[in-house]
Amino acid sequence: MNERLANLLQLSLGLDAAAFMPELLLCGGIVVLLLMRLMPRYDRDNLGWIALAIAGFACYQACSLWFEMPSLVGRSALDPDTKSTVLFGGMLVADSFSVFIKIFLLAFVTLVILLTLLTGIPDTEDSADFYVLIFGSTIGMSMMASANHLLMVFIAIEMTSLPSYALAGFLKGRRQSSEAALKYVVYGSGASGVMLYGISLLAGYCGTGYLPDILARLSTPGTLSEPVIALGVAFLLLGIGFKLAAVPFHFWCPDVFEGAAAEVGAFLSVASKGAALALLARIALGMGGLSNAVVDPAVWSKTVDYLVPVLAVFAIITTTFGNLAAYGQTNLKRLLAYSTIAHAGFMMMGLATMTRDGAGAVLFYLVVYLFMNLGAFAVVAFIRNLTGHEDITYLRGFVQRSPLLVIMLGVFLLSLLGLPPLAGFSAKFQIFAVVFDSARMFAEHGKPKLAWTMYVVLAAGGLNTVLALFYYVKVLKVMILEKTLEEVENRPVEAKPIPGIHAAYLSVLAAVILGLGIIWDPLARICYGTRDPNVVSAIDSFRAVPPVQTAPTAKVK
Amino acid sequence: MSEGVALYPYLVLGALLFTCGVICMATKRNAIGVLIGVELVLNGSNINFVAFSQYNPDFQVEGMIFALFVIVMAAGEAAVALAIVLNFYNNHSTVDVDSAEELKG
Repeated sequence: MNERLANLLQLSLGLDAAAFMPELLLCGGIVVLLLMRLMPRYDRDNLGWIALAIAGFACYQACSLWFEMPSLVGRSALDPDTKSTVLFGGMLVADSFSVFIKIFLLAFVTLVILLTLLTGIPDTEDSADFYVLIFGSTIGMSMMASANHLLMVFIAIEMTSLPSYALAGFLKGRRQSSEAALKYVVYGSGASGVMLYGISLLAGYCGTGYLPDILARLSTPGTLSEPVIALGVAFLLLGIGFKLAAVPFHFWCPDVFEGAAAEVGAFLSVASKGAALALLARIALGMGGLSNAVVDPAVWSKTVDYLVPVLAVFAIITTTFGNLAAYGQTNLKRLLAYSTIAHAGFMMMGLATMTRDGAGAVLFYLVVYLFMNLGAFAVVAFIRNLTGHEDITYLRGFVQRSPLLVIMLGVFLLSLLGLPPLAGFSAKFQIFAVVFDSARMFAEHGKPKLAWTMYVVLAAGGLNTVLALFYYVKVLKVMILEKTLEEVENRPVEAKPIPGIHAAYLSVLAAVILGLGIIWDPLARICYGTRDPNVVSAIDSFRAVPPVQTAPTAKVK
Repeated sequence: MSEGVALYPYLVLGALLFTCGVICMATKRNAIGVLIGVELVLNGSNINFVAFSQYNPDFQVEGMIFALFVIVMAAGEAAVALAIVLNFYNNHSTVDVDSAEELKG
């Protein structure tokens, strides 16, 4: 058996490396950047363009993996029944879900590197370090999306976190930046330590760290009521919740975002949330048995009974807290930090449905969230470069200084709010639609409590959209309606136009948001898939919830 | 393999280290002290891994590999954390975590 396995591994190592190509490219990029730093010729150059090329190429590789998906999943030697394939002896999994997240992450990193080139936040001599940290963190995130073993889960989360800590403190001389990094590293390493303890209990108790085996074990009725297992799962979810900034593990998020540069905030808010959501989706849906080849209705029914209320409660608390706390903020980065907490809650609502369509809606939301949140942080970075301020009290009447910037900020904030015809609306619509569908589905399955939970989630989502209105519009009100200092003192207002290339960057992001808000069918088709089995969709690795058995209802009256 | 080796004393030791570490993280005001608490937690989990690997033949290799990787990760984490603490000291002239209070709200 071991010999057969060894042969198999040797045969598949080349293929595994091909499926791991985007990450390998980033690893190579790290080495190249660090070596170039050693050469006196490039020591003083900004290496951002090289980083941009590497990230772009890695993204291209990930896209080509997507189109090779049918052949990739077809060669699965270890478990031919499933629509996914394991890499490196089962440590990682390659399915359309993980490849989708990889494309998402790498496209995002490319855009962030472009943004840093425009704003010039890493100094020329620090540029190599900055991009090495970004790349290292990205490798960790893409491994989070494809982890198939608890050891990989831990390594991936640590690989994501360690560079993020350093990135938060990248502005070395700033008091606030060093404070943000200290808070992040203290909370973060504490959370990952606790998570590791949970992993040690889970892996030791199940006798393996292989995620499908553990999920199968967890979905056996009665296992989760054993205290050791329950503690292990709770600690594991705590670690993921920390990366996701879900309430009550959100406390690091506002401080880190306020202290770190806006570009770093953009990176952390979108990429690390996306990766954490992917991991949460894989674990939660796997516990429901939806990643098995054949879904066992009994397992699914038992798991949703306790997992759906837990996820729903956390989602509602997270969204509501984020929106309420954002209202009093005057620092733009801090306000956006609370807004990202609220959005993480919205995405958790999609996962709380515990259906494959829920995962698809979350992926749709993530893609839209990428553009609108990156846009909002980019505007903050540009405003900081123009005025040196990130506090809205200094930005009264900013529309008279730089109308284009305020209009763009308006587009991004209103999209975050979910106003049609912007993409934020279509994303929220997807989430609400799957929540509503799942409520009806739970009712059909004879689970009225869960159905009502879903209706409560729906109501909370609607209420939170209204709550979010106040703080997003408040920012715009201050910038558009209030008078500038010069106006009050009867002096001419000093205009501060932004460079054309910055305007072009923002316009592209805004155009994508507008486009996705009007034509969202293609993206939805990639996220959800169609009835056609030959078309690859991102949630192919998950199965649909088993249909209702009609037999038991035909009782004699 | 597992004859004569009782699992529970090791698990209790691991739990004890974990508890000490969490208490240390929660109560210490010195940033270095908090990091020592983190190391205690990591070592508590490591004892679990090694004990389980000794007790369970299926988990033997996996547990050891877990433990090795955790040691490496702990070293990396300590290096990054200490660098950040040093940076904080350079800016604030203290490593008291309670003095990190400029960011709030």
